[in-house]
Amino acid sequence: MAWKVVDRNEAIVEAEGPALLSDAVREKIRSFFDRYETKRAALLPALHIVQDTLGHIPHQGMMEIAGLLEIHPSDVIDTVSFYTHFWTHPKGKKIITVCRSVSCEVMGGEAVLNEFKKQLGIGEHETTPDGKYSLVTEECLANCDHAPCVLINEKRHEGVKPENVAAILADPNNDRVTMERSTLFDAPGDSKARDSAQ
Amino acid sequence: MPKITIDNREIECRKGISVLQAALEAGWNIPHYCAHPGLRVVASCRLCLMEMRMPDPKTQEPTWSPKLVPACQTPVRDGQVVRFDSDRVRQNVKRCMEFFLLDHPLDCPVCDQAGECHLQDYSYRFGEAESRMVDEKLEKPKKDIGPRTLLYSDRCVLCTRCIRFTQEISGTHELCLVNRGTRNEIDVFPGKPLDNPLQGNVVDICPVGSLIDKDFLFKRRVWELESASSICPGCARGCFIRVDHCDGTVYRLKPRYNPKVNDWWICDEGRFGWKYVHDDKRITAPVLHRGHEKTTPKWEELPEILRYRFEEQMRKNGPDKVVAMLSPFMACEEAWLLIKFIREVAPQAALAMGPVSEDGENQHFPVGASGDAVRFTILKEKCPNRRGIELLIGAAGGKTLSFEEFVEKSAAGDFSAGWVVGGYPAEWVDKAAGKIAPKFELLVVQDIFPNALTDAATIILPSCAWVEREGSFVNSTGLIQPFERAISPPEGVKRDGQYLYEIAGLDGLYRAGRVRELMNATIEEFAAVFEAPPMPAHAH
Ligand code: SF4
Ligand code: FES
Ligand code: FES
Repeated sequence: MAWKVVDRNEAIVEAEGPALLSDAVREKIRSFFDRYETKRAALLPALHIVQDTLGHIPHQGMMEIAGLLEIHPSDVIDTVSFYTHFWTHPKGKKIITVCRSVSCEVMGGEAVLNEFKKQLGIGEHETTPDGKYSLVTEECLANCDHAPCVLINEKRHEGVKPENVAAILADPNNDRVTMERSTLFDAPGDSKARDSAQ
Repeated sequence: MPKITIDNREIECRKGISVLQAALEAGWNIPHYCAHPGLRVVASCRLCLMEMRMPDPKTQEPTWSPKLVPACQTPVRDGQVVRFDSDRVRQNVKRCMEFFLLDHPLDCPVCDQAGECHLQDYSYRFGEAESRMVDEKLEKPKKDIGPRTLLYSDRCVLCTRCIRFTQEISGTHELCLVNRGTRNEIDVFPGKPLDNPLQGNVVDICPVGSLIDKDFLFKRRVWELESASSICPGCARGCFIRVDHCDGTVYRLKPRYNPKVNDWWICDEGRFGWKYVHDDKRITAPVLHRGHEKTTPKWEELPEILRYRFEEQMRKNGPDKVVAMLSPFMACEEAWLLIKFIREVAPQAALAMGPVSEDGENQHFPVGASGDAVRFTILKEKCPNRRGIELLIGAAGGKTLSFEEFVEKSAAGDFSAGWVVGGYPAEWVDKAAGKIAPKFELLVVQDIFPNALTDAATIILPSCAWVEREGSFVNSTGLIQPFERAISPPEGVKRDGQYLYEIAGLDGLYRAGRVRELMNATIEEFAAVFEAPPMPAHAH
């Protein structure tokens, strides 16, 4: 055909070979089935677990989740693509999320974002060549009283100014969450061991 | 029946329907995209919003509700008062249309849907000539989402009818809504294309030009097409269809609403099963074999030739050596005329049933459904009129044969004169049947394509495809359903109904309704045919 058409008859295969999801991951997803009336309802926990395990949710992962939940893969990609939280391609080890909603914007959020871009040498939705950081913007992080707000993975950085950016990036524990956090949706295994390995 | 008041006019309506449906049935032209009577209500397009009178929560005085409410999601209640004819309602539609057109490419000149597009229709009524949009339009891609269907995402109004169809009717779930907000798009999972036996219906219910049938793409502008009401001959179910044609060529088949059989849907097998009609291998002239000589008799001479030849056989070989094999692809009227002729010249003639084609198993939808949950069925019996032919053979009485018995007895030389009707879209003469011809002294074969029997026939009569004929089929549940003719047969071919009418000794033009009147004198079933209630004029 004369014009450009995206071909959806072809599968996207990221990795040839055996199943992506380990038995432990499958087991953890199955452990949510009892909580709900339908297996389909375990979709969000499943997506969190898979993303925490693989770093993102590739098409193969969506197919395997669909198989486990006995739903069509289109129902999985529907949900995955709705939430910006879920990634369909590899991201850096740490995600820096700069708030771009009103409060942060008026308090200088854009300057903070530009500083991150400058220091990391990447643009929005990009990942540093060493795979350490990905940079994204997001709508209100529900922390307007401490605008401008930045998240590094799950750790909140409040009242960030451009001049703080270097120090934040230099801190190896810049994503260490000090308050109690739920491990409900974490990859199976010892999450503490995972933290100290970083 | 509840009575409701719309725009100061009181109407009576069916119980349990929505105000939108009631208004459409009473003739109002209410804009709507997401609502479809065959699908779950989502009330997402906001086009059908109306004003409604409700008791004030404090004073219980009936007052106009402060907010507009979706008519598609509001069930009718006795005494309800609503209005569409108001500035607030019109303002709402206007604003909705502005949003629907925000990123629309306005490519009507090259869009297949142009002329039957509800984005065009509603824009014409409620839209603005100028767009106030100052930003760049978002460009969404065209997607090849399956072997038969294209998706033009940039024309989509996100009504989600197509998604709900794959969830609720086909049960195959291929379609989904990806991304969020302005970036929403209909999509399939890569590598899991839209490919199920009912997929063509998503093109029909798409209110705009977003889902497009590759088979019809760029073939014709829709306003050039004419339509005939017909019945799908693809299986014994007998779905109501519309044949869209132009210049003697069929371009597409579309479903017609029939609450007793197919609702709003048809299957792909039926939808695309008409291609054989325009196959150039068709038989296009009658042929008379005299020894080794082949001639083309004039149509006017045929009734006499045929009558003479059969009577000659009667004199020569006795009254019980004549047989007629009727086809489940014949219309009831045609079969009745042939029986009338045969039993007139040979009152003891045997009547046989042609082969009843079958393929696979019955298929029920949504996939996996049974009992009351079934919304659509494709039958394995792949011919439209077995029940009708059985009914007529039964009513004629006398000697009757199954196809197997017919072949067996013919092969044994039990008959000297026979009339065999085919008309099957695919090869139907099996090995055994192919060998019976030499046993006949007179063999008339009426068929659409050449085969082993036509090759050996004394007289070949060309048969027409169902879109070239008119009559009725009796479906698997016993409904007698009429079909109109859409196009003319190929040059040189006379309609089966017409020549059978003349051969049966009747004068004038063959009209199916007229023949049914004659049939009704002896077969009471043909007193009336089944007609479905029409769809409201402005429903879609
Ligand atoms: S493709 Fe058509 S039916 Fe599907 S959501 Fe878009 S406008 Fe509606
Ligand atoms: S606007 Fe940034 S946290 Fe709310
Ligand atoms: S909201 Fe009623 S038809 Fe869409």
